Amino acid sequence: MDGKAQPTTSELIIMIAGAVMLVASFLDFAQIDVKAGSAWGKYLFPIATLLPLYGVAMAAQIALTKFANVKLPDQFVGFTWEQVHLVLGLLAGVMALGWLITDIPEKGIGFWLEVLGGIALAVGAVMMQRERHTGAIG
Amino acid sequence: MNQTKLSPANIVILAGGAVMLIGSFLNFYQFASFSTSAWGSGEGFGVFGIATIVVLCGVAMGVHVALSTFAPNVNVPDTLLGLSWDQVHLALGFQAALMMLAFLIRAKGPLEFGIGFWFMLLAAIALLVGAIMRINEAGSGPRAAG
Repeated sequence: MDGKAQPTTSELIIMIAGAVMLVASFLDFAQIDVKAGSAWGKYLFPIATLLPLYGVAMAAQIALTKFANVKLPDQFVGFTWEQVHLVLGLLAGVMALGWLITDIPEKGIGFWLEVLGGIALAVGAVMMQRERHTGAIG
Repeated sequence: MNQTKLSPANIVILAGGAVMLIGSFLNFYQFASFSTSAWGSGEGFGVFGIATIVVLCGVAMGVHVALSTFAPNVNVPDTLLGLSWDQVHLALGFQAALMMLAFLIRAKGPLEFGIGFWFMLLAAIALLVGAIMRINEAGSGPRAAG
């Protein structure tokens, strides 16, 4: 990946989603017990925190290689970086759908931003496969 | 991978998937007269939908091993979305173990873990171990797709 190239559409989606999810993780996620809490709050950490962490990891990888010219190894535990994004993106999407159908009460703005971010990560990761011609999809 | 004999890694994954499925129907959380499985309402505690993902990971891994071993007539593709099956198992095993560890350290108030939770936690760890064993059986890293 050329470190000086402009971010592609998929990279922008992932970076924006990751940033939004990081911010949203500090907003009200849901009310469990008496008062509403964020994804870092009691009864929600760390199960609800996984979603923003996936987003931050994906966004950070792109930001580091695009803007900071950090040279990362070609592979991560046997996965190419495109595969890492695909796996994390799809798992984030599944977790987002999982949270969507779960029964936690009084879902807050942080919840909805996390769900949307998780779906955006999945979409961005799939688009990345096409942009980089990995052959994984299509 | 059409072979009639299960490798140790695949035995671990198959057993882990079976224990995961059984555990998912047993008590995940319990308190006094209240109890819920991974498929039930968690009384606002977020169980169904989230813990269910762990079950689906385990079942998917077990079904793949079972199909590729015992159903030679079923044509299992060599790759899934460009990922080798070793990579798929590693990703799903990691996700299952990570989520169960997250449940383990999450504050649970007055609730107590039920037997189903412990079954699922052990199964998730077994699935991750099995996935790593598959990689070790294959060589030094996950067999790359293609």
